[in-house]
Amino acid sequence: MAADVHRKKGWEVPNGSLAPGDGQHVERSESPTPGLAQGTEPGAGQEGAMFVHTRSYEDLTSPEDGAAAVRSPEERQGEPAEPTSMEQISKDFSELSTQLTGMALDVEEEIRQSKEGKLEPSPQTTRRDSVLSGKEEEDVTMDAWRMHRKHVFVLSEAGKPVYSRYGSEEALSSTMGVMMALVSFLEAEKNAIRSIHADGYKVVFVRRSPLVLVAVARTRQSEQEIAHELLYIYYQILSLLTWTQLNHIFQQKQNYDLRRLLAGSERITDNLLDLMAHDPSFLMGAVRCLPLAASVRDAVSTSLQQAKAKSLVFSILLSGNQLVSLVRKKDQFLHPIDLHLLFNLISSSSSFREGEAWTPICLPKFNSSGFFHAHISYLEQEMDLCLLLVSTDREDFFTVSDCKRRFQERLRRRGVHHALQEALRTPFYSVAQVGIPDLRHFIYKSKSSGLFTSPEIEAPYVHEEEKERLLGLYQYLHSRAHNSSRPLKNIYFTGPRENLLAWVTSAFELYICYSPLGTKAGAISAVNKLMKWIRKEEDRLFILTPQTY
Amino acid sequence: MSRKKAARSKGGGAAPSAALPPAAQGSGRAGTGAGAPRGSAPAAPELPRSGGAAAGRPSLSSSGEFYDLAFKVMLVGDSGVGKTCLLVRFKDGAFLAGSFISTVGIDFRNKVLTVDGVKVKLQIWDTAGQERFRSVTHAYYRDAHALLLLYDVTNKASFDNIQAWLTEIHEYAQQDVVLMLLGNKVDSAQDRVVKREDGEKLAKEYGVPFMETSAKSGLNVELAFTAIAKELKHRSMKLPNEPKFKLHDYVKKEVRGSGCCRS
Repeated sequence: MAADVHRKKGWEVPNGSLAPGDGQHVERSESPTPGLAQGTEPGAGQEGAMFVHTRSYEDLTSPEDGAAAVRSPEERQGEPAEPTSMEQISKDFSELSTQLTGMALDVEEEIRQSKEGKLEPSPQTTRRDSVLSGKEEEDVTMDAWRMHRKHVFVLSEAGKPVYSRYGSEEALSSTMGVMMALVSFLEAEKNAIRSIHADGYKVVFVRRSPLVLVAVARTRQSEQEIAHELLYIYYQILSLLTWTQLNHIFQQKQNYDLRRLLAGSERITDNLLDLMAHDPSFLMGAVRCLPLAASVRDAVSTSLQQAKAKSLVFSILLSGNQLVSLVRKKDQFLHPIDLHLLFNLISSSSSFREGEAWTPICLPKFNSSGFFHAHISYLEQEMDLCLLLVSTDREDFFTVSDCKRRFQERLRRRGVHHALQEALRTPFYSVAQVGIPDLRHFIYKSKSSGLFTSPEIEAPYVHEEEKERLLGLYQYLHSRAHNSSRPLKNIYFTGPRENLLAWVTSAFELYICYSPLGTKAGAISAVNKLMKWIRKEEDRLFILTPQTY
Repeated sequence: MSRKKAARSKGGGAAPSAALPPAAQGSGRAGTGAGAPRGSAPAAPELPRSGGAAAGRPSLSSSGEFYDLAFKVMLVGDSGVGKTCLLVRFKDGAFLAGSFISTVGIDFRNKVLTVDGVKVKLQIWDTAGQERFRSVTHAYYRDAHALLLLYDVTNKASFDNIQAWLTEIHEYAQQDVVLMLLGNKVDSAQDRVVKREDGEKLAKEYGVPFMETSAKSGLNVELAFTAIAKELKHRSMKLPNEPKFKLHDYVKKEVRGSGCCRS
């Protein structure tokens, strides 16, 4: 079975949009200018990208089928994927399918049993209640519950609760019933509900059959961005179940209680929502790298590359939510969304801290129909360095575990251990290093590499609310820049407590935040200086030479 | 693991005899070679066959400790019964207090024990109790030499599910797998809903050794693993003049009750 996966043909991606565009390898220019071609901006990879090429934010918000990208943005947004194209995709995927575990079959068997009315007593009986987390006890009738800034609900098309960020799903079943009624009511008219705006609240609906995702937010985010976050939640659920299994379950039994299969994953979803509220990675649709001297990173990447196995598709080394190194199988590209989901999985559980974990995981953007198997382990207890080896073979635990051992050995032999440890001690750099007095913070994303860099958030953004407020400002600028009906290239924002400037080109996106006393002219000269600095530091801040096995 | 596995990892397949360090070869070789009456897949120290992890340096565990024998032990049971806590208590002598952390997939750890002067490495698979990981855990049942089946004495459902677990074990695990039933969390006497007698009765019905444990207080935790290690060790290196090891009797003799009046 594993052998099938390795047939050369099987790995070819039928959809051209999954591979990065060609013609990126133009001469690197010395001073970045607005006319900079994509692929030559600071941070652009020298040997092609590591990720699936995401040209813009719209790529991320559009439905997963490549065909949708052709349609106009108005049509595209928030619309459920066409059944035909989804079918095609699932067919394509099953052709290049990674090994699908027997899980779907188990469920099928069980559904069949339950139809025959003899479901009990399998060890599977849902027992989520045995492990009450704090949120379960939250009273949904209380004002405190209503005061949360952003609620997220997931329900099935039968109106059954699947997930609620706050409060227990049971207590909310009638609320979710109302939500489903709203969705159905408009659908009966051959229409679709996207959002309700009232009283400072935005209620955003995302329909991804067989699930409906709803957010009730009081944040300043645009509807588009909230929908984007809901999609992340949808992908998170897919990563646990696969699209194929999810659909199969609901085809068999429309009123299935999906919480049974998702038991224990609430923490992962909660964590994802929290992460999205303070990590700009999700907003940028890009990945942040751990600042590391190029020589050290190369040594790490080479060690990782050498510790390969036949079934390995991706080897990822990460620290915190920053990428240290990524080695991939030739012609296979990881989507930033998939990588974000992996980062979230790792940061949401401390159970990986010891031992070696082996878990099925679906990377929905790569292939939503099958599971990979991920070997997750920390290299050393006290060091925040996590190794993630993604394999296609469920049975390959020991082979992959040996890859880890070999990687560690190589790392030791190359003597980069110490340098790596040193770099981990300062996982963020200070904005002061740039040497622009008024500059407080910035986010710079290289579009062709799918990587971004950003300094540590420092004073005056000390408190958590302040940090979130800053991210909120970036979100606002981002949503204006990427507004589907009226996108903007340059935005200058003057606020009471800071000034911001956004600059979006075909090659990069830059958002800077600086002192409220600074002038526009000052900001523009700061941008030029900053771009020069990023160019100078790019081999430390980005991964310029991504490796393949 | 499967036939496929055996064929592929040839380095491992050929290794068992070479894998044993001199000490064990001297004492245990004759015994293992002659006395393996149990079918084609005995629980003998044939770790490297499926244990590619140790292929490079077969007698050195990942923590750098030498060992004579290696066995795979799996912890199974409903979600939240305390499998990970039991393991952490055994491995590190600590209790994971605070919030519930559910295991993702399966978690692999090693611990080397000394049983009657023989160093036994237990490769412990800590499994996730949740339904969606069932298919992964199924795949590892057949390699397990021993299974610790847990329920939570404060949770009736987890006890009721034991029968279903046993059915599953019967279906997927090896015939001669060493099995032990553990009623965990006996420190929470207030919340107990499954009586000790109920556990004993069920265990007797299925002919499985039984004990009550507490990962929090450490009660019987060490014993559960040691008993398993002893049984496996005795099975794999039957010394001619040694009396047969009886797991049931050993457990009965050594087990300690949760209250002060019983023991």
